[in-house]
Amino acid sequence: MIFLKVLSRLFWVAVGCTFLFPLYWMVTMSLKSKNEAYANPFGIPASWDWLNFGEALSKYHFYTYFQNSLIYTAGTIALTLTTGSMLAYCLSRMQWKFNSAALFYVSLGLIVPIEVVVIPLFQLIKTLHIKNSYLGLILPYSGFAIASCVLMLYAFLRSLPKELEEASCMDGANVYQTYFRIIFPIVMPALMTQCVLIFIRIWNEFPLAFIIASKDQFRPLTVGLLSYFINVGVADWGLIGASMLLSSLPMIIVYLIGNEKIENALTAGAILK
Amino acid sequence: MNKYFSTKMSLFVFAAPALLLFTVFCVYPLLPEIWMSLHDHDGFRNLGFVGLDNYREVLSMPSFWTAHRNTYLIVGISLLLGLPLSMMLSLFMDVQTPRLRRFFKTAAMFPAILSVTVVAQIWLAFYEPNWGLFNSILHSIGLSDWTHSWLTEKKTVMPSIGLSFLWQYIGLNAILFYTGIKTIPKDYYEAALLDGASFAQVCLKITIPLLQNVIKYVLILSTLGSMAFYSHVRVMTAGGPGDTSRTVIYQMYYMAFDTSQFGKGTAIAVIFILQCLFISFVIQRFVARGKLEF
Amino acid sequence: MKNKSKARAAVLMASALLLLSACSGGNEKGNSQPSDSSPSVAAGSAEAPKDSAQESAGTDGKKIKMRVITITTDENRNNIMEKFIKPKIAEALPNLEVEFEPGGGGEDMANKLKTLNASEDMPDVFWNDAGYFTPLKSTGSIMDLTPYISKDGFLNKYSVPDALKHVDGGIYSLSSGADTYFTPVIFYHKDMFEQAGVQVPATFDEFVQISKSLKSKGMVPAVTPGKDGWGPKLFLLQQMIQIGDPQAMADLVSNKTNFDNPSVQEGAARIETLVKEGVFPDGIANLDYGPAMEMFTSKKAAMLMMFTWELPNLAKDETVDFFPFPSAGDKYDPTKSVQFWGSPLNGYAVSGKTKHPDEAVQLAEFLAMADALYFETTGAPISLQTGNPSSEKSPLMQKFVDWYNPIPQKIASMALNSLDARASAEISTQGANLLTGEYAAADFNKALSKIWSENTWFNN
Repeated sequence: MIFLKVLSRLFWVAVGCTFLFPLYWMVTMSLKSKNEAYANPFGIPASWDWLNFGEALSKYHFYTYFQNSLIYTAGTIALTLTTGSMLAYCLSRMQWKFNSAALFYVSLGLIVPIEVVVIPLFQLIKTLHIKNSYLGLILPYSGFAIASCVLMLYAFLRSLPKELEEASCMDGANVYQTYFRIIFPIVMPALMTQCVLIFIRIWNEFPLAFIIASKDQFRPLTVGLLSYFINVGVADWGLIGASMLLSSLPMIIVYLIGNEKIENALTAGAILK
Repeated sequence: MNKYFSTKMSLFVFAAPALLLFTVFCVYPLLPEIWMSLHDHDGFRNLGFVGLDNYREVLSMPSFWTAHRNTYLIVGISLLLGLPLSMMLSLFMDVQTPRLRRFFKTAAMFPAILSVTVVAQIWLAFYEPNWGLFNSILHSIGLSDWTHSWLTEKKTVMPSIGLSFLWQYIGLNAILFYTGIKTIPKDYYEAALLDGASFAQVCLKITIPLLQNVIKYVLILSTLGSMAFYSHVRVMTAGGPGDTSRTVIYQMYYMAFDTSQFGKGTAIAVIFILQCLFISFVIQRFVARGKLEF
Repeated sequence: MKNKSKARAAVLMASALLLLSACSGGNEKGNSQPSDSSPSVAAGSAEAPKDSAQESAGTDGKKIKMRVITITTDENRNNIMEKFIKPKIAEALPNLEVEFEPGGGGEDMANKLKTLNASEDMPDVFWNDAGYFTPLKSTGSIMDLTPYISKDGFLNKYSVPDALKHVDGGIYSLSSGADTYFTPVIFYHKDMFEQAGVQVPATFDEFVQISKSLKSKGMVPAVTPGKDGWGPKLFLLQQMIQIGDPQAMADLVSNKTNFDNPSVQEGAARIETLVKEGVFPDGIANLDYGPAMEMFTSKKAAMLMMFTWELPNLAKDETVDFFPFPSAGDKYDPTKSVQFWGSPLNGYAVSGKTKHPDEAVQLAEFLAMADALYFETTGAPISLQTGNPSSEKSPLMQKFVDWYNPIPQKIASMALNSLDARASAEISTQGANLLTGEYAAADFNKALSKIWSENTWFNN
């Protein structure tokens, strides 16, 4: 029995490790020289070659792009979570004759891939005079992220007991107070999950940013790295490894911190129940 | 209470911002798209109204149907293989020790936070026929007959790409399920376990039914996500060899941007969106209809 | 009937545009923000001598802003930007503030420019390519440079000015001319040939034979980038037709023959032979440029089919030599005909809609010269004269120039000079198919015949 338990644990640890393999691969790749990367693509590097990082960092405006990526991501998260959760609340809890129609309408957003509408979207952004500004990407990103946010929060809100609002209503709170003081904290776990999902999506988004954030000072990391990636992509796996790691690093760090937060938020949510 | 809560004003305040944002940036751009699909358009110039000709031509192209077969193969893989696996992962996660669970959660979601470019590069290295990981392993354990040129043989290319996609998002879906499991009150289990139910029974009879809304959400998300499957193909095989691994979105891109036939490309986009509408309608209509009762 | 619907659509389009422009009237300026934090290259910054800056910057002292989209596809491009453009532009053009936007290359670049053109947001100067020239031309987004460069004498710096002319007689792009010296050859490792006991082949059959010998020694006989049909589209198909019948190939590029010609059809058949006989490694159809190069330089592969733009890099390895594609018939002699890469459409172009055409042309001239100065340092031949004394060439480069220059028949590249966007994409697709070995040459030729008949390149 104990043997079985250990075995099953080992199995799960092994499964977990396969998910972590890319991290290992990026790190080891980034430390290999050009020749070694081809001769020994999956093993541990023979000698540690930090040159790849220096070269990767010195060739592009990492900090500017990093800051921009952060602004786009944070802006999209703030806008999407506020407006999206409010709509979800409206659809799940309030009396509105178009509730189910609106829900279906919003779920359209999951269907439209951003690649399909790049050209009309670009013209729209120009017309609205938000091309060379952070809003030029934040607004469309939010527009596209809202669907999944609303649907998820809708699922969560529907599973909450009605008594919460009834009690709050008895206390004389209006709908806004009830929403922001009672409901918002309760759906925090779902919001945090959604936050991470949006972060992943926006941080790595490429097709739209490539077209819209054309000015260097507004470029996010993915676009800023493009020329560099294409450039080294034809020759040097060590450099590819280093630049992949550098561009993913912020994401990894945020995720590791965010992951803890989600866990805390989840337990908090469970206690509230 | 409802009358007090749902005034016109409060409805407007809660619903309008999100609906406006969504309509302007997500739905509106589709209109020029539909217009374009009825014209002979090269992306810059409109060469005249052609009615449904674009649709007719697109539907008669063999590569259009190859693309559909590939797309639905990916949908099949992620629904029939991916979701059950994710569910199993989440159920097991629920009964692990906290330390193992934390490790597992961190690890499981890791592939999903990486950009597709990075993930696809890694799998390219796995599938490389001469020094890649899979063929090296097969050679070293004496199964040289099983080696393939994974990404250039017609039979293996699509399942190979599908596997990388499956691997990237399986953990993410597991986490979503797990978040749902956490919201189920613990006393439900305890009561059942006291009655002598086994772990499997608890999962099947209590956890999964109570998860229907989350399941539905994940179902829609991964169906439509795999319908729009594109980036992995772009990086790993560029739709090749030939048109063997093109998906619908890839075909759309190919027609519009590579061959400068935006009319046909947008026609594919419209057909695609209609399919997605239909599928999500089916899911909304027939999956998880029962009301949850706590 | 057709005209009517066209007119109606035009009215629709026009009203849509009106709507768009009505909302966007004159607000562009208000949006431009100070770009202090922008890493763009500010010309005439503190380092530039003050007097010269004042002199050419005009009375108001304001710099003219220029937007440039360049290709950023390979190491060469990066070197040009870092070593020849950024450090020198301030001194050369003190009155300009230039912002460089990386355009990527190939499809990314084409998509970007097409989108920018469709939304009337063209950069002042950009890298032009046959892949998007036609739409830019039709909307007036690319300028004929002839009057400008004739007036300022830049045209005279080219050793063959006629090579700049497009078929319609206009000059649309300025380049270093290095392109015209790029031709596909077969590079090989002398030591690997010795080891396998094989000689440089003179005929196609010998080439297949030595490949078999190399393979039996455990070497990969030959590589070339095959992903998305790169090799077949850019040179392999053309070479395989040409080594049998160069005239047929020359006719094809000028649309005097088509894929129903048996001499043309033999090209695909020869590629099929190469694949079936194991000349290429497994997975060639998905082999990218970088990995293909690496297989050759790391001596896993004995031969590399590649353009001579890699010659300066490869010449660093003393075991590397090259030979022209071997003959498959009496009609072909490698010293009589050769494929060349350049297209008059590749190079820096100026937008027809720029507000400062004179300055933009100067900028394009500066960029073309930067290309020339760079390629000169690599020892590559160029046709834009830099005024520098000619430097010593590597023995391999000397061998190349001695072979290439006297060849009387130089056949333009099919990929650059005879395909519209659609035909180009379809040939990529078909070419990759051919490399899998699961696709018959007959099917390829049938598909190509259809593609060729629908090719609109020669219609204009």
